[in-house]
Amino acid sequence: MEIELTRRAETVNELLARYGVKFGIYKNNEFKEQLFPFDTIPRIIRKDEFAYLEKGLKQRVMALNCFIRDIYGDKKIIRDKVVPEEFVYISSGYLASCDGVLPPRGIYAHIAGIDLVQGRNDKWYVLEDNLRVPSGASYPMIAREICRKSSPATFETYHVEDNRDYAKLLRWTMDYVNTGGHTVILTPGRYNAAYFEHSYFAEKTGAHLATGSELMVEDDYLYFVDYSGRREKVGAVYRRISDEYLDPMTFNEESVIGIPHIYDVYRKGHVALLNAPGNGVADDKGIYYFVPKMVRYYLGEEPILQNAPTYLPYYEEDMRYVLEHFDDLVLKDVAEAGGYGVVFADRMTAQQKEDFIALLKREPRRFIAQEVIDFKDIDIVENARRVPRKADLRAFVLMVDEPIVWKSGLTRFSRDPDSFIVNSSQGGGFKDTWVLSQ
Amino acid sequence: MKTLQFHYHMEIAFSEPVHSHIYTLKCLPQTGGAQRIEKCVYRITPGGRVQESTDSFGNRMLYGTAQEEHSLFLVDVTGTAVTGVQAPNMPQDTPDLSVYRYRTPLTQPGRRTRELLGHCRKRTADMSLRDKALVYMEAVHGSIQYGKGVTDINTTAEDALALGSGVCQDYSHILLALCREDRIPSRYVVGMMTGEGESHAWVEIYDGARWHGFDPTNNVPVEDAHIKISHGRDYRDCSINRGVFTGQAAQRQSILVEVTENGGTPA
Repeated sequence: MEIELTRRAETVNELLARYGVKFGIYKNNEFKEQLFPFDTIPRIIRKDEFAYLEKGLKQRVMALNCFIRDIYGDKKIIRDKVVPEEFVYISSGYLASCDGVLPPRGIYAHIAGIDLVQGRNDKWYVLEDNLRVPSGASYPMIAREICRKSSPATFETYHVEDNRDYAKLLRWTMDYVNTGGHTVILTPGRYNAAYFEHSYFAEKTGAHLATGSELMVEDDYLYFVDYSGRREKVGAVYRRISDEYLDPMTFNEESVIGIPHIYDVYRKGHVALLNAPGNGVADDKGIYYFVPKMVRYYLGEEPILQNAPTYLPYYEEDMRYVLEHFDDLVLKDVAEAGGYGVVFADRMTAQQKEDFIALLKREPRRFIAQEVIDFKDIDIVENARRVPRKADLRAFVLMVDEPIVWKSGLTRFSRDPDSFIVNSSQGGGFKDTWVLSQ
Repeated sequence: MKTLQFHYHMEIAFSEPVHSHIYTLKCLPQTGGAQRIEKCVYRITPGGRVQESTDSFGNRMLYGTAQEEHSLFLVDVTGTAVTGVQAPNMPQDTPDLSVYRYRTPLTQPGRRTRELLGHCRKRTADMSLRDKALVYMEAVHGSIQYGKGVTDINTTAEDALALGSGVCQDYSHILLALCREDRIPSRYVVGMMTGEGESHAWVEIYDGARWHGFDPTNNVPVEDAHIKISHGRDYRDCSINRGVFTGQAAQRQSILVEVTENGGTPA
């Protein structure tokens, strides 16, 4: 199958560079902005296959929202011993300051990025739930726009769901919880890895792009202060800074990118924060193991999407399995993100293995172990040749009165043929994701 | 049971005038447990319009922004507390205990904490929770020397043990680290006490029915000499004052606390 678009790769990449589609990375404490390499061969998902994913993703995000509301509310799932309490309270995403605080309309995970992979057996597995500040939707959005311009013929031949509606969905998500006032996208600033995305969303949704210094709290309400000093009340903040930096009066006292008292205003229901602070308790790698159980517990349904087979060394039985099958597993440090803290046992030296096992026995709660899934490769073009590479799919689920799955997604691939790690922070590239409409 | 008059005074002196001073204070004692607050008034200068709220641990918060330029920020809280109340109808907070069972960064145990716990455990087999807490408290009291200026607000329990010295905050963190290794619900308390000129910190332990205070700095169980202001998992949940301001200024904070028994003379 030859897609006309792939012959326009050079034009597309030139345009992406011109639009500033970049990703910042820190290496040796230095900030470098680099282009996010785009490959023109799309990931194509059949209509019926996507319908299945959509159903499963909606179910999963519903259950995750129920879990977070429960943890900061009644804590039934702990009392019923479905999730051991220490997994909750030692998790770095659990914030005691969120206990008893109900966000507008009770939504905690407004914008979720669920990472999936497809095995060689065609079966999809969820690898990770990203609920805090998942990034990436802007890349396939702008790539599609540029691809359509560069090769209109391609989109006449293929019936692809339009993915340019993401801005509309995002705006709807923000408006749905808005407590009255303007909508703001809060960015840490241009030295953030995803600054391109923050500015792109602001442009496309019509929200204000602001840094913490442009927002202020007065008399229990949040205001946007423009360049002339004029104030406008804010009712919803899509914040792209992490919980701990959000408010120095409640969280990290040293934070200079947050807004003092924004959390107190939120606590009183005077502003919506997307995503809700503290929701990271549900995307902790240790909690991931329990998501299928949450689906059964809260929704009374069988989970449609499966986790990658995962073991918790915290359970004795699982620890035994992990030690017996150590070489076949990938180990993940639950406190790390972005592809850091992931080790493949078969690539360790004997000494590394010994040290790691000692650490694992000392801190079993700190790690999860997973079977290495043999991903289905996807072709990319490299030096004018098609070569297979590992790729994952980040699907975006937005929560309004019910969950909506965006009919696209970010497909990331590893440029290194021997690597399974596709994170853009590790130098990976991306593809558009086509969902066929017929 | 005692009736105590209290006065909490905090002042921050700035080397240069500052403005847009944003603050959150957790400085108001509340009725609950074994204390009844009969009167409590506060004054914040300059305070701007003060908002009130309650944090997730149940502590009362006062917050606001002092917009105008100032070189001195003053907080005064005065009132009357009845302590050591054993009346059955006193409000008892029986919150979610689990949050108080697990370590925090400041109460993270290390080798020294575990050694200390090992010594204690030799003596506490078959003991009731309260007796056990007394043993732990005594061990903590003897584990470091009281001394100011050695530790700071970021010192962990384990670090304080290594330094061999600390203040009430460090004693409390060590006791919390021990209790939490045993999954005993235990919390950090900030308050005032008779004969103590500064704010004080101690620990409360839940025995299945109610919270009991233990003061490891003084090696005494809390009866009626202490007035509690706030509680949380560790120091960070209870800091009396948090603030940010605009201005290039050094700040010096001083605190003066006076707790006297009705009819008695100031200590």
